This record gives sequence, C-alpha cells and structure tokens, in this order.
Amino acid sequence: MSSTGVRRISLGRAIPLILVGVAVLVTAAILLNRRVAQAAPDQPIAFNHRTHADAGIQCLFCHPNAMRSDVAGIPSVQRCVGCHQTIASSSARIKTVLSYWERSEPIPWAPVTQMADFVFFSHQPHLSAGVNCETCHGVVGKMSVVRPVVTMDMGWCLDCHLKQPEPKVARLTDCLACHK
Amino acid sequence: MTHTVSRRSFLKIAAGTGVAAGLNPTVRRVALEPFVRPPEEELPGKATWYASTCRQCPAGCGIIVRVINGRARKIEGNPGHPLNRGKLCARGQAGLQVLYNPDRLQNAVRQTGGRGSRHFEPLQWDEVLDQLASSLRGVGGGSEVAFLGGLMPTHLYPLVTRFLEALGSPAPVLFDLHSAMEGRTQSHDLTQRWFGSMELPIYDIGHAEVIFSFGANFLETWLSPVSQSYDYGTMRQGQSGGRGFLVQFEPRLSGTGASADQWVPVQPGTQGLIALGLGRIIVEENLGRVGSHREHAQLYRDVNVGAVADASGLPVERLQKLARIFADADRSVALPGGGLSSHTNASQSMDAVMALNVIMRRLGRVGGVFLPQQVPADAFSAPISPSPFRDLGKLVQNMRSGRVGVLMIYGANPVYELPRWSGFIDALTNVPLVVSFCPFIDETAVQADYVLPDHTYLEGWGYQVCSPGADRPVVSSQQPAVRPLYDTRSTAEVLLSLASRLGGALAQALPWPDEPTYLEEASAQLFGSSIGVIDARTEAGFWSQWRQVGGWWSAKPIMQEPELAGLTEGPLQVPSASFAGKPDQFPYYLMPYESIALSDGRGASQPWLQETPDPMTTASWNTWVELNPETAAHLGVTDNDIVRVVSPQGALEAPVVVYPGIRPDVIAIPTGQGHQDYGRFAAARGANVMDLISPVPEQEVSLLAWGATRVRVEAVHKVMTLARLESLDGEGRETVR
Repeated sequence: MSSTGVRRISLGRAIPLILVGVAVLVTAAILLNRRVAQAAPDQPIAFNHRTHADAGIQCLFCHPNAMRSDVAGIPSVQRCVGCHQTIASSSARIKTVLSYWERSEPIPWAPVTQMADFVFFSHQPHLSAGVNCETCHGVVGKMSVVRPVVTMDMGWCLDCHLKQPEPKVARLTDCLACHK
Repeated sequence: MTHTVSRRSFLKIAAGTGVAAGLNPTVRRVALEPFVRPPEEELPGKATWYASTCRQCPAGCGIIVRVINGRARKIEGNPGHPLNRGKLCARGQAGLQVLYNPDRLQNAVRQTGGRGSRHFEPLQWDEVLDQLASSLRGVGGGSEVAFLGGLMPTHLYPLVTRFLEALGSPAPVLFDLHSAMEGRTQSHDLTQRWFGSMELPIYDIGHAEVIFSFGANFLETWLSPVSQSYDYGTMRQGQSGGRGFLVQFEPRLSGTGASADQWVPVQPGTQGLIALGLGRIIVEENLGRVGSHREHAQLYRDVNVGAVADASGLPVERLQKLARIFADADRSVALPGGGLSSHTNASQSMDAVMALNVIMRRLGRVGGVFLPQQVPADAFSAPISPSPFRDLGKLVQNMRSGRVGVLMIYGANPVYELPRWSGFIDALTNVPLVVSFCPFIDETAVQADYVLPDHTYLEGWGYQVCSPGADRPVVSSQQPAVRPLYDTRSTAEVLLSLASRLGGALAQALPWPDEPTYLEEASAQLFGSSIGVIDARTEAGFWSQWRQVGGWWSAKPIMQEPELAGLTEGPLQVPSASFAGKPDQFPYYLMPYESIALSDGRGASQPWLQETPDPMTTASWNTWVELNPETAAHLGVTDNDIVRVVSPQGALEAPVVVYPGIRPDVIAIPTGQGHQDYGRFAAARGANVMDLISPVPEQEVSLLAWGATRVRVEAVHKVMTLARLESLDGEGRETVR
C-alpha cells in the first residue's frame, strides 16, 4: 500500500539519527547506573566505620562469619549493645541503636556491596587464601560513610583469579567455580 | 494467529527496551536485618537442619527442615526415618507455603460483627483466655463442652481428652473428610472384627508378588502414601524375586491404577462382591499351594459366581483368570481400600477382601498382612481412630437441642466438608460459643466467635505415633524449625493455660506448665527401652536425641502376626450397594475422588499445590468433571465445555475433561476446591463436590457414604478453559494475581 510506502521512506531517512540517539541514551544510562551502583546507600543509622577502626577494632570482631561462612554477616544488635551499653551511650545515634535493642527489633541496614545472585560467592575460601578485606571492599577503616569501591563484575573477578599461582588457575577460571 | 515482525521493527523494539532498561536504576531496596540475639547454633549463611514431622496429612512422615538465618527454606524427607526413608511427597514439600502463607491469622481474634460477618477484631491472648475461662466456668448443669477435631496429632489427643474429662464433657468427636475418604474408621473396625485389635493393619506391599487393590489408591492419598510408594518401588524392582504384579479394581483409573498391570473398571459398589467371587473360585477349585481349602468352604456357601459375574459385569472366565493369578502366587495380598468405604456395603466389602488374605493364609507372612508392634510406653500405645459417622450425628443433635454450651473445633473444617443435610451449619446457630483453633480463616472459622490461631507445624511442638506404621513401631517427633512468625499460640498451650486459670480438677488433670515439659515427660517413658535406636544415658540426653534424630523407633523391624478372632464362621455376604437418586432421573454414578495435591481441601490455600497438575488429567487450579468419551459424545460436550451436574441434593457447574480411564456410567469429580473462604488462593475457585452428596436411606449410620449418589449431567453451552499441563500458553491459569 502506498501510505505504508511513504512512511517507510521517511523512517529510512531518520534511522541513522535514531540510532545515534539510542546509542547516546544507552551509554548515558549505563554510566548513570554505575554511578548509582557505587553511591553510598542511605542507612537507618549513620554508622561510622572509621571511628570503630580508629579505636583498634578489627573487621572480624564485628563480622566474624567471614572466616567460616559464605557471608560475613552484619553484627547482631546484641553485638552492638555489648559495647554501647556503656560506651557513648548518651549520643543520639547510639540511643537509636539502643532503642532497637529495647524493642527487640533488627536494624534494617542497607547492603553496601551486592553480589549478583547468579553467583555462588563465599567469603570463607577467599579469606583462607589470604585475601584481605580491603582488596574487595576498599579501605573501609578510613571511610566515614562506606560505599562500594569496585564494580563486582565478572571481569574484575577473573582479573584476580587469573593472577593466582599456575596450578590453581584452571580451577579458578572454570565456569562452575562461581556459577553453579 | 501469527504476527510478522520485520527486522526493522525488531531493532526498534530492541533499542527502546534497551533504553528503558538502562534508564531504570538497578538498585534494589533491600534491607539486611541481623539477628537481635543470634541463636547459638545459627551461623549466618550456613544451613541448619531440624528434624521434625510433616503435618500435611496424618501419615506422620519424618522431615528435615533447612533453616538459614532463622528462615525455613526447604523441607526434605528424613533419611533416617523408617516410615518415609528420606522421601517426601509434593504436599510435604509445599509445607513452606503453610508457614509463609500471606492469609495466616497473625493474632487471636473475635468476630465482632456476628458470625459470618467476617469482621474480626484482634485480641490480646490474656484477654481472650480470661474470657474463655469464664465461659467454661458457666458450663455445666445441662450444658457441656464439645470438641470437634480432625484426625488430630497424637500428642494433642490425650490433652484434649483429659481436658474434656475434667470438665465432665464427652470425649472429642473426630471427623475429617480425608479420613472418611480413605476409610480409616472402617479399617479400624475391620481389624477389630477379624483380629480383635484397634490398630490399623500393615500390608507388606514391598515383599508381595501379587497385589489385588480394591479401590486403594495407595500411591496417592490412602493412609501412608510415601511409605507405600517406596514399598511399591521395592515390589516392582523384584527385590524379593521377580517383578511384582498389581491389579487395580476401581471404576475410575486413578494414578495407582495407571501404575497397575491390569485395571478392572468395576461397577461402583461391586468390589466386595468381586472379592467374594474370587474367594469362591479359589476355594471351589482348591487353587494355590496352601493345602486344603475345606475349612473355608462355609465362608463362601452362599456365593454364586454367575450372580457375581452378572452384578459386576465381569465375565466368569475373567474372574477365574484373576482368581488363578491371585492364588498361584506365593506371596499375594489383597488391599481393602478407601474406595470401598464410599458405599453402603462398606464393612461387608472390606470383610470379603480381607477374607482373600485369610484363605490364602497371608496373615503374618512375608508380603502379607501384619499388625503393628505397639510402642512400649503408655503415652504412645492407644491408636486414635476417627469417630463413626453416627457420633457426628449425635453431636449435631446435641448442638441443635442446646446442650452444647461451648464448641471447640481443631483441625477440621466441617462447614466445608459436610454435606448440608448433616445439619451441622444450622445446628451451629444454637451453640452460644464457638471457638476455632485454625491458623486460617476457613469456612468453619467464619462461623466461630473466637479464632485462636495455632502455630503452623514448622513453628510448633508435638509428636505423631505413625499409624499405619512402618515395619516397626515409630514415634515421630516434632519441634519448631523456626520461631513463630506471628502472635499465634499452640492449642496445647491454650488448653494448659485454661486449665491453670480454671484450677481444681482441671489443673490437676493438666498439671504441665507448658507444652515442651509435657512432651519431655511423655518421651521420657521411652527412655531406657532396650529396642529403641536412641542410646542415651540420661533423660535429658534422651530428650535431646529425640529431637535430633526425629523421634524414636525400634532398631530392628518388629511386627505382629494377626490372630484370627472372629468371622471365620461363614457365610460371608455382600449386599448390593444402595444409591441415592432414581436411575431414570439420575443415570450416572457420581464418584468423588480425593485430589492428590489438595487432599480434602486443606491444601487449597497453597499455590504450589494448586499448580500441581492432577497426575491423570494434568488439570489444575479448578474443579472439573471427568466424562468417558462415549458419555461426552452422548451429551454433545467436549473438553472445557461447562456442564451442570445435578444430584437429588444439589447441583454444581464445572468444565469437562474427557477421560478414557472411566466407565461410561460413572462421572468423577475431584475434591478440594469450591472454598468460600480459606485465603486468596482457595476462595472462589471451582466447586465443592460435597454439595452433591445425598443421604442414602439404607446407609449405615456409622458411615458417610460419599460415593452412593447418582447424578445427571446437563450441557450449559458455556466454555471455560482449564489450566492443563499441555496448555503452556498459561490460559486458565492464575499463577500471578
């Protein structure tokens, strides 16, 4: 039909323009997305990692499960209150923490680092292999507000897996090492 | 219909989608909620498995529940449990949806707008218990407390009976449709008549060579399906020499029938008659290698094989062939199934089937019939049998006459399960106070004044004496896998707190401060038993292993040989079954059958079970009417056409499934749907086949003859597409709502 023919011609002319527009939009979107992904999330309590690290507290004191489990774990409210019943208990933020404890409610922390859910990641073998917390999480001890420092995509994982000693590389680059 | 998409429009769509996806920030709002007080045995990210007991049906299979971060994630069969031996059925797997069901009651409620208003007001537990205690104080002097239960967990039953005894009220009445459809009461009566025992018999399916199943769908819902399916596998793999042979006698081909070598589509109500005919042939022709049949001759004195052939529609030659198959095997066994209990001649039919085991001398023999060995402790010894139907009639009468002051309902849904003519709903209006313990608002809870929701089974305590048991005595223990999600309370705890509030004889009868103490004390009776698997030095150690192992059972198989107590003096007779409805007005037999996924309707609130296709028709999410192709052609209907099924008692409309595995004179409808309440997944879906069941004048009062109704079928010229496995376009499905 003729009407369709006309539309086809006009569309045909516009196509390069449309394609360029789409490419710009997609690139912008990807960049924006990365920015959003690497921003520090809002937390229910403005927790300061630096204060705690400066006081000489080790990562594993509050996140002990990294050594023995898949997840490092968020410290239980009981763990917070263990110290803060006496330390800085008059500060407003700590009062908020204590109020959760009194109501027997968990504090709804927002996760800072998120691993894709099609990957079976476990902290325990990484720590056993001598990887430091800072390697993946950045120097959290120097951050007042924690934000993710690396984009945890497959290239980044492989980057490190490929640098491992020769006999381990084949196993560490196998698909099924992470995707099960 | 096909859409052609040009390359160009495809690119346009792809680009548009890409932009839309790219602009949409991928940050998900999730919160990581740590424990407030971490439990000792929990390691975040690592699974902890708790052994417990499945409560989706009364079989009592052992389960292990995978718990991560305090949340139950998966249910599996307990590999150490002698009943289900690590296996679990679809209903067991779906148990998580009982726990996480969005329609669970989250606290105790009172129906403030009057019964049926569905206007519920939350109550504090202390308040509700005080109110209930004062109502119970007012009972007495002509009025009584009545307790109606489904086949309740065996740990709760003694508490309820003690509670009622101390109040001076009659024993609880136990009725649920599942038990009625598997013929549990009649099976108890059967062993009582033949062997003088109240236990359910054990049929050694695993070691049998030939199984004649008379309406026993033992791979689906009958008694202990997981254990029986396991044994069926053993039987088929020929572990005791040669592949076993199964013959199924039933009017509609069930999933079990489909697994059989021969399906004998018998006329409804004649299964017992056929068993009688087979027995007569065996005795008359002295078949089998068991010696003389002379002593059994009097059992079959009155049986005429020709008359059996006429009544059942099976030719004499076929009966003779079948008799030879049964008698020539070394290890044959006949199963009197739930299908027999649907007819007015239930007890005589079951006698006729059991007689086949007796004349072939299958009692106490490998691959034959056994009685369970009792658990060696008082707390676990008495088996619980559902009440005869006449007890329910008495209860309804008492309710109607105003004798019942308080009615408590646990684990049963009589408003949904009982036909209207039972008078239950009408009699409810004469009961001043009705209390339901259901964790959901089901049809019965809608007619209650108070609903005091129990925990779901993954949150609660208990135990179950498995009956029918495995090859050994088994008590399966139940413990909370997770902390209760809501402000619910176990019914045992409610009874204990009521007892302590009311004091006196009641407090003496129920002296335990809480449910775990009661259970620990009961389990301690088995401490030191020499036959058990638990090897503990102290009672505390026993209690901890009891929970860890998943219960108590004997280390070795022990079963009893049944001793004949009666009925060896003949003659056996099976009267012809009566049906409600005249054949000229109602030409078809109605055969309700129990849905393998939804059971008697209790599974309808779980979407996984709704989505589970029926194994024979692959239909789900609805009710359907199964018609033989011949019948369908006669009525001028086909798949998905809606028909109206009319019985003397009522009518329902549902789409047709044309099904070759059914007799032309029978129509079949599954149970489980047609709920008015019971949550968003169950309500307003399909029709309830119990609306059709009519009273039969000759029916024994001890029996709800659920298969003794005749119906007619009318086309209504409307179509409704059923969700079936082959309709992959999702039509008729409502998985996303």
